[in-house]
Amino acid sequence: MPSSTLTLFNLCCNSIMETVVHKLPSFKLLNPTSSSSHYCSTTTTTRTSKSFRVGSRRRSFSISASASAVREDNQALGSVSLGHITRPDFPILHQEVNGSRLVYLDNAATSQKPTAVLNALQNYYEAYNSNVHRGIHYLSARATDEYELARKKVAAFINALDSREIVFTKNATEAINLVAYSWGLSNLKPEDEVILTIAEHHSAIVPWQLVAQKTGAILKFVSLNQDEAPDVDNLRQMFSRKTKIVVVHHVSNTLASVLPIEEIVLWAHDVGAKVLVDACQSVPHMVVNVQSLNVDFLVASSHKMCGPTGVGFLYGKSELLSAMPPFLGGGEMISDVFLDHSTYAEPPSRFEAGTPAIGEAIGLGAAIDYLSRLGMQKIHDYEIELAKYLYESLLSVPNIHVYGPAPSENVDRAALCSFNIENIHPTDIATFLDQQHGVAIRSGHHCAQPLHRHLGVNASARASLHFYNTKEDVDDFIQALNDTVNFFNSFK
Amino acid sequence: MVSGPTTTSLSLSSSSSSFLFGFNSLKFSQRARLKFIDNVNERKFTFAPLKCIRISGFDSCSALTATEAPLAPSSELVSDKLHRLATEFRALHEPIDRVKRLLHYAAILPPADESRTRAPENRVTGCTTQVWVEAELDESGRVRFRADSDSEISKGFCSCLIYVLDGADPEEVAMVKANDLSDLNVGLHGKSHSRVNTWHNVLVAMQKRTEALLPQQPQCE
Repeated sequence: MPSSTLTLFNLCCNSIMETVVHKLPSFKLLNPTSSSSHYCSTTTTTRTSKSFRVGSRRRSFSISASASAVREDNQALGSVSLGHITRPDFPILHQEVNGSRLVYLDNAATSQKPTAVLNALQNYYEAYNSNVHRGIHYLSARATDEYELARKKVAAFINALDSREIVFTKNATEAINLVAYSWGLSNLKPEDEVILTIAEHHSAIVPWQLVAQKTGAILKFVSLNQDEAPDVDNLRQMFSRKTKIVVVHHVSNTLASVLPIEEIVLWAHDVGAKVLVDACQSVPHMVVNVQSLNVDFLVASSHKMCGPTGVGFLYGKSELLSAMPPFLGGGEMISDVFLDHSTYAEPPSRFEAGTPAIGEAIGLGAAIDYLSRLGMQKIHDYEIELAKYLYESLLSVPNIHVYGPAPSENVDRAALCSFNIENIHPTDIATFLDQQHGVAIRSGHHCAQPLHRHLGVNASARASLHFYNTKEDVDDFIQALNDTVNFFNSFK
Repeated sequence: MVSGPTTTSLSLSSSSSSFLFGFNSLKFSQRARLKFIDNVNERKFTFAPLKCIRISGFDSCSALTATEAPLAPSSELVSDKLHRLATEFRALHEPIDRVKRLLHYAAILPPADESRTRAPENRVTGCTTQVWVEAELDESGRVRFRADSDSEISKGFCSCLIYVLDGADPEEVAMVKANDLSDLNVGLHGKSHSRVNTWHNVLVAMQKRTEALLPQQPQCE
């Protein structure tokens, strides 16, 4: 970029900074000598050195998209990437934390919501909030229509045959409990086997422990192979006539590995076993087609796919849901209630006791509309590139170990990395990243204690991306991480 | 055997005469009470709770005057130390400076005998990092603490808590509330709970272990 243009940018920035800093997407100042500077200043500076934080706090500023002079090796991650295009839709990303631009890398824990979803929620409560299904009046009819429309949207999103195969729950955890208590209690006998992996989220393990205790069923766990991914060969060998259900993740929230669900379903159905897939980390990030996967049950949470908290869903094949007894009892799931017994509604109502999270389900519908407009394949392709970039960038940090398989021709990784750095506690890393750099990652066991125990650690740090993250987010994270490592090493 | 301490009328035994150090012009009970009134601001600290504490080998005066602790390396009260620490951290405006100060405290924590301190029974539950705390009574009946953690920041927390509580009397340890620590406010945005938990958990662990060291007390009124 010619220096005169640079000066012009600086002048523009100084005058517009105060007015537009929170309104336009935040872009990096495109400095030919550094790929990640944030400042609007007369000398170009980088983020890394603390000594540049003289006087006023660092500010993120906004310039128009036409300043895209950065030449990226990878076209997909360039300055008009999916991340750059979608960032304006997420108001929460345009803020500062502790004097630095917020870099939100905790998407596996929860995703951010686009304005379309926020508007849908607001509109529901402003225009037609009303209880669903039983009301006669206009508002109730409208609320019911929108609620059922949201159900259809979920069904279409995962290509379910019928929207009656979608049960709205509070979240994926409740959905798994629904299957465990409703299907599990009435189908598992002593010595029946339930196959899981050691990498499962606690929500996929604990309900089955509870039900196994009650029924006498046995839980069997698949371990990891030498690539730190679930050992699929081992899994295949575990199947027997005793296997009644397999409960597995689609994408691991810690290892970033992806399981071959179609094959697993074939092996399971061969021995007459059912398959429950925890799709929390896959539905938000890639195309998930329950008919082609042929799974029996699938669960996901709205809040991980740009929808509100408080709603999730269970997909279950019609014939399975029809045969299942109720889970929670109350209004809505009944047909008739007498004093000594009640009769129950057909699925999905049978499993939706009480007033549902109506506005939230409608918000989930809006999230699905938003994601569908972007295209899940496009999101997936972008995140694969970002995943590779994150992984490779992390490997450049000394003394780091990133968990899970390495990405390759045959192995796709999700856009998340859990890692540990020698001699520095992940919680200390996360604290410093937050306090000094405004970078949000997670530290802990990520609801996967058995996995961490197997890996021989108490906790790990995890950075997880979504389609609204950019290459610059990764660059900032890596710089901040290097700064963090230097800081802690200097104290030793 | 002692009849329990009261605020105004005390019979002084000869062993307590050393506690009169520095307060010559006032009657003992008045001096002790003044000192407590001074610190009463946030905590309603009175003598009443001490009625129930009968530490074997101690007379009533020692229980009352324990807070003056002239035999300890420092004659500061726990409350003074807390106050000093809170002031120190409050003066650090940038959150990162508070992190750095904690790391400094971590560095000056006496190294623990890992094989001993890191025993499973010493583990403090509820922290995202691993923290171990040991407590024992010394020959004067004061509590001595040792702590360790696999996280430098948590070690810093432990170091601060040990600075405040090590060498204190069991009653003083019991009196500290998590709120007293909120001023240290490290890694918190506003008064969020996540980092407070580590403080709180370690403090509670120290208090529980202290309580476990005391002989079982009869039910008080």
